[in-house]
Amino acid sequence: MGSLVSPTVLGVVQSLSSSSLAGTLVTLSSVLMLLAAFACLGSKLFNRYVVYYGFQSIALSFAAAVVAYHYDSGELWALAAITLMIKGIAIPIAARRLLLQRLDLRRDVAVSTGLSTSLMIGAVLTGFSFLVIQPQDLPHGAISSSAVPLSTALVLIGALCMVVRRHTIAQLIGWLITENGVFLGAITLASTFPFIVEAGVFLDLVAAVLIMVVYVSGITRQLAEATAAELRELRG
Amino acid sequence: MSYGDDATSRGATADGPAEGGTPVIADIVLVVVLPLLGGLTALAGRRARAAGSAAIVGGVGSFAAAVVLAARIGGLHHVEAWSGFLYVDAMGAYFTVVVSFIVVLASFGSAAYLAAEEARGELSGFQVRLYFGFFSVFASGMLAVFMTGNLGLLWVLIETSTLASVVLVGLEGKPRSLEAAWKYVIISSFGVTIALVATLFLFFAASGVHLTSVQRLTWYYLLAHGHGLTPASMRLAFLLAVVGYGTKTGLAPMQTWLPDAHSEAPSPASAMLSAALLNTGMYAIIRFRAIAIPALGASFPDTVLLFFGFLSVFIGVVFLVNARNYKRMFAYSSVEHMGIIAVALGFGGVLGLYGALLQVLTHALGKAVLFLSSGHLVLGYRTREVSQVRGVLTTLPFAGGVLLLASLGVAGSPPFGIFLSELTIVRAGFANVGPFLPALLLLLLVIGFISLLNGTIGMVSGERPAAEVHQPYRGWPQRLVASVPLVGGLGALALIGLWIPGSLHDLLLQAIRAVS
Repeated sequence: MGSLVSPTVLGVVQSLSSSSLAGTLVTLSSVLMLLAAFACLGSKLFNRYVVYYGFQSIALSFAAAVVAYHYDSGELWALAAITLMIKGIAIPIAARRLLLQRLDLRRDVAVSTGLSTSLMIGAVLTGFSFLVIQPQDLPHGAISSSAVPLSTALVLIGALCMVVRRHTIAQLIGWLITENGVFLGAITLASTFPFIVEAGVFLDLVAAVLIMVVYVSGITRQLAEATAAELRELRG
Repeated sequence: MSYGDDATSRGATADGPAEGGTPVIADIVLVVVLPLLGGLTALAGRRARAAGSAAIVGGVGSFAAAVVLAARIGGLHHVEAWSGFLYVDAMGAYFTVVVSFIVVLASFGSAAYLAAEEARGELSGFQVRLYFGFFSVFASGMLAVFMTGNLGLLWVLIETSTLASVVLVGLEGKPRSLEAAWKYVIISSFGVTIALVATLFLFFAASGVHLTSVQRLTWYYLLAHGHGLTPASMRLAFLLAVVGYGTKTGLAPMQTWLPDAHSEAPSPASAMLSAALLNTGMYAIIRFRAIAIPALGASFPDTVLLFFGFLSVFIGVVFLVNARNYKRMFAYSSVEHMGIIAVALGFGGVLGLYGALLQVLTHALGKAVLFLSSGHLVLGYRTREVSQVRGVLTTLPFAGGVLLLASLGVAGSPPFGIFLSELTIVRAGFANVGPFLPALLLLLLVIGFISLLNGTIGMVSGERPAAEVHQPYRGWPQRLVASVPLVGGLGALALIGLWIPGSLHDLLLQAIRAVS
């Protein structure tokens, strides 16, 4: 098997600046993704989590499509399509059908930190990301340099969701937000990442979500209202 | 398909096809595919006994193929094909031998344990099929990890084997095991996602080097071009890799999933988790370390590894002191030992690496035996509390004897192999970083020694308890199958403590050359 990327792609990578239209569109969708993450952080309704996650994934697939158009790369087009189908459509529908409707879950009461506090922590984390990854210091190859700190912020806010929410579904959504952040970083920072590896990452993601869905419903059934706070038997 | 004739040809792929190429590839395929045999038999609807026998046959075959592979790699230095997606060097071959031997031990253990649980009515036929199905995917996924030179594929395979093992942890379906499985899947998925970020940064660090995008993820190209990697990105990549893969390895402070998963999984699966899966994460860290050293110099990677290593040894020992559940006690001992391996890598030098690799093998042997013998106790006493298990030497003399010897071995007493590997590590510390750190390590090891033995000696000695103790296995065939891995693992551990075979010594030295 030969190289998976055409030499033209490598050539184009070097010659981009973030002031292009593509860069603006990628930045715009990254900002929308960040807003969706904040909306998740500020909500207490399970079906909202799922809606915001679906919206975030659609913005992500839009960013991937822009990058694909820009580099004229068939692999990235495929990736954008897979993202839209799996993260934008399949996972939200599966979460709604298999978890929310079947287990009749509505309101998340298992929140350890108040909504406004967690929103403020989220804002601090976003600022922190820009402080750590200063876009002006990044090499000029990246299509949108501000997408990199935004993706770091998404990773951190996903982690925050997993920490401040105790319900297993909220933790699952938090992990998926983190995953979206990593993926945003991947398409902007490393847009020539080998497709075969990305495909493997997607397979693992689907398998992980399926396994997690099984455990979420198992745990929820066993403890009428499953919250990780109640999962305190194992200690020491 | 090409071979490296010596270390300097690494990164040059233009060698013509050498003779004997197809047998090596066939061998590699056998190592990875044979463990699936047990799962396939189980899927065909067989019961625990048939699936267990198939798993044993597959495991033994895979181990034999791994030994043949290691012997061949010894002459060839490395084998690669498919632009580095398939790549085996001495380091990979060494880990393959270790893990496939653990798979053999755990297959014997699974055959006996699952048959006993099925006979008791604890597990349904569906759960038995689920167990063997995912056990085989778990084993084969882990072995495949050592067969690739592509760090992206390595990530995919590590995540695959993790997901397969989650099902084993939650197999019993009780609230406690579901909780442990959830904690395991969510924490390690998050950790592995961090490792993916590390891989991305590594890929990014290589953007200044003239490589194709697949080569920028291929381990030996990165090693050969280590000096050209961007230091800032590489530093971040290494740190995130230690945190991400360290979550899988059970390095503190990311170890929180480990004791739960190890204590709630069926005992043979705990043996696989502790003795095989943790090593897979360590293997990834060793690969990242090898690339980081030419790019950054040794001091940054060594400091990071020493920090996480000592923290893990400390946390492991502290929780060892007051563990009340014996499977959790063994799990904390795993945290301690993974910390020791990280410390050994941080001490560096040939001696440090030699100690680390030897410790990978000896810990795997000792811990596999400990967890498998804990299976006897779970079946016999129907409890996991240290305080309720007394007088094992009188009630279950064989299991009690093995438990005592194996915990002596794991704690680091001579003549067992862990004594030798820990001694090597401490010597490496005195030689490379001065007296303070190795002395601190020795102190922690002594505390760990006392607390582990305090727990197990209390269990094996004392009066026979008032509650009835069941005979764990019925009938001599089952008893034989259950005792083979205990005797085999303990024998190998004692053998390595007394005498390291010449071929193993050569393989270790070659593995060290491959990453330096």
